[in-house]
Amino acid sequence: MTPNGAIAVAVMMIALLLSGPGPGGVAILLVLGLAFAVIEVRSASLIALRRAATVVLPLAAFMVLVWVGIVGRAPSEIAADMPGTRAAALLHVALICGRLFFIVAVIQLVVLRFAHLTPLQFIRALSLPAGAKRLLVLTLSLIETLRHAIDRAHVALIAAGTLTRRFSLRNVIHSWRLVQAVWLSAVTIALGRMRDKWPVENTLDLLDRALENSNRRLFAGNDRIWLPITMGAAAVILLADLFPGAS
Amino acid sequence: MGRRELIAGPNFSGRSAAMLALLRDGQFARECFYVGPYAEAALSGLSSIIADEIEIYRAKPASVGRAIFAPNDFELLGRREPQTLSGGEQVLLALHCFSLSSYGAVAIDTALEQLDPANRDAALGYLDPRKKLVATVALIDNRLPPPLLGWDCLELTPGTKDFDCDPGGVVSDLSQWKAPALAMRGLAFTYPRGRQIFHDVSLTLESGTAYRLAGPNGAGKTTLLKLLVGVLAPSDGEVTLGGARYRPWRDGNRAIALATQNPDHQWCGATLAEDLARRRAAFARETHPEFLAEQRIARLARSLGVHSLDAHLYELPLAARKRLSWLWPLCGALPWVMLDEPSIGQDLSTRLRLAAAIARLTALGYGVLFVTHDDDFAGRIPHRVLAIGERTIRATS
Amino acid sequence: MFTTPRLIVIALGAALNFSIGTIVYLVKLPIYLDSIGTILTALLLAPNRKAAFFCAWAAGWMSLAVSGLVNPFLPWFAATDVAIALVTALVTLRAADIFRARPLRAVPFAASVLVCGAVTGVVAAIVSAPVVVYLFGGVTGSGSAFIVAFFLKTGQQLMSAALLSGLTADPIDKILQVLFAALLYRATPGDLLVMLRKA
Repeated sequence: MTPNGAIAVAVMMIALLLSGPGPGGVAILLVLGLAFAVIEVRSASLIALRRAATVVLPLAAFMVLVWVGIVGRAPSEIAADMPGTRAAALLHVALICGRLFFIVAVIQLVVLRFAHLTPLQFIRALSLPAGAKRLLVLTLSLIETLRHAIDRAHVALIAAGTLTRRFSLRNVIHSWRLVQAVWLSAVTIALGRMRDKWPVENTLDLLDRALENSNRRLFAGNDRIWLPITMGAAAVILLADLFPGAS
Repeated sequence: MGRRELIAGPNFSGRSAAMLALLRDGQFARECFYVGPYAEAALSGLSSIIADEIEIYRAKPASVGRAIFAPNDFELLGRREPQTLSGGEQVLLALHCFSLSSYGAVAIDTALEQLDPANRDAALGYLDPRKKLVATVALIDNRLPPPLLGWDCLELTPGTKDFDCDPGGVVSDLSQWKAPALAMRGLAFTYPRGRQIFHDVSLTLESGTAYRLAGPNGAGKTTLLKLLVGVLAPSDGEVTLGGARYRPWRDGNRAIALATQNPDHQWCGATLAEDLARRRAAFARETHPEFLAEQRIARLARSLGVHSLDAHLYELPLAARKRLSWLWPLCGALPWVMLDEPSIGQDLSTRLRLAAAIARLTALGYGVLFVTHDDDFAGRIPHRVLAIGERTIRATS
Repeated sequence: MFTTPRLIVIALGAALNFSIGTIVYLVKLPIYLDSIGTILTALLLAPNRKAAFFCAWAAGWMSLAVSGLVNPFLPWFAATDVAIALVTALVTLRAADIFRARPLRAVPFAASVLVCGAVTGVVAAIVSAPVVVYLFGGVTGSGSAFIVAFFLKTGQQLMSAALLSGLTADPIDKILQVLFAALLYRATPGDLLVMLRKA
């Protein structure tokens, strides 16, 4: 399966979920997602589910507090000007969080499907214009640069008595110095590369060559199975929504 | 034999500019691999893992018969981020990528100074014209005085006196100050992911002594520093300063003035005035106000070659920024001082004077900790070695 | 339009957006600053409004694309990012000279930050409200959820409650972000600005 195909399948599934399908449509999506997880991602699917839970459960707890604890009724009941029940509010939270869980899980499944590829290999496989690929590579590299600059500047600013290890008013006032130090060190590094290393080596040409996808086709391999299946599911779900009696 | 060009001269004689001019002149080399000063300038900036850095530079198809430079097994480290390597390891990675590439020439601007002696010898051996492993090399290195056998030398004279530097001037007005002893009892530290760095370390660091931190990468030099300034809290044990309990992870750093390896990581402001105003406010209780008085600071900055406190730090040349990074530890405001690779990128005359300034600071009673790969520089400062490794720290003479 | 220096600045802006979350966590701040890089990218291209808009837009979307892997709630605010890029190019850029003036003129600086931040916040709130309602059911897990709950209890419908909550919280958040971006813009070396001007 190619990254293009996996991303296309994921985007379609998420879009279908957001289109507000009925219970039948949701069931189809769940089966499709499960099949994709079992066939393409296998045991790593459990990691995807765990990551999705880690992200969504805290939000779910918070939503329960707000919707069930404070508001006490569902939005549909608010709109219909009804007194409402906490049970309906809980159902609303469950549906929203279920949807978010599915979205996060699908994204993580795609990430894990290609975990064996390096970032360069993954980006090479994407069908994007050269400039977009360059930008993606640069961004990922600069994120690493910033992350390490943050760590070193954090040590130095704590040593300088400007920041504290734990939350404090001092941090609120002076955190911008950390941001500034990190930004300026990153700018200095980038300027140095643009002035010296890249012009001398023509490094960006090397990058473009490394990112060139020799395989000209957009989709390949298992894409040719998953894409039609997903499109078929889309047709069924959308038609069922258009003609509720027909399914 | 290929071409070897050594560009020599003191700081600010225009060596870097001369090197770039040489590289733009098509006669030196058609295309050239470049390794700049500091780790971040050695790598391409286009990769987020080591395997990708190698992949970008690898010649396709692979060059037959070309000698590969591989002091470390970088293929094994493939999934790691390049920035998790030490500065020296990043330079080695850059040279490794060069050896895999199709570039016929390499230009190195002071980067070899970051290597420990063994790796530095390996790198210089790889570049040796007699070994014929590399066709063309342009090199700037403050620790390789000309003449060099087999190398052409372009010797530059100082172009400007603007950045003339005298580190001794920074410590000249300091008086005796017996720094309180820094002691560790049963100190232990384990990272959250389970890697134990220190186990039951008991050690006393005396004032009036310089300690050179030594140990392989990952042994715990950075961890020790982070514990002493309060970024990390020990899992067990305690630290005392002058006999009293010292808990910087709770109460903040009260004792150590730090100069980082890359000066750009330590600034608290965009100008020197902002940076020192911040430190003055932060250490108002620990230091006597005259240490950081504006007039004194202006004089110290002038000693280090910078004439305006309002100069934008990041617009100063790299060597000037490195020198300014010494101001905070050498100004004498805090009793303990930590310098991480302070002499990188500095010419011989400046290195000698910096070593003398550090030795004087030690003699006045300050406590000094430093890290350096330059054995010659270290030899000019009377010191004891703090060997860090195998989860412990030993002080040896 | 997209020269190498501009690509670098877009990538820097995107990386900064992404990384600010790490900084916020390290210093344990109770606020969430996710568009400083977008606003700063635009400011760096002042006074070229067109370049500022497109580069800021690219920085915003690039950070969403990368963030989507770790924070799946961000990519849905893609339209908000475009709106922020547009407001910054049309409004905040007018204050670029004030931000970089040396010495700092405190009153014009503060006034510009407040006005530009408030306008950005209002626009962001309006554009974000539908996403907050349809995707998150009105609650995104930030403190503004309590404000939404308050408005709901006072009888507001969900969409208007989300909008009112946004209009309360967003301007404050965006004023802070414009402040950070202005300070970083002020500190950025002039060499980079010169490189960016060449089309």
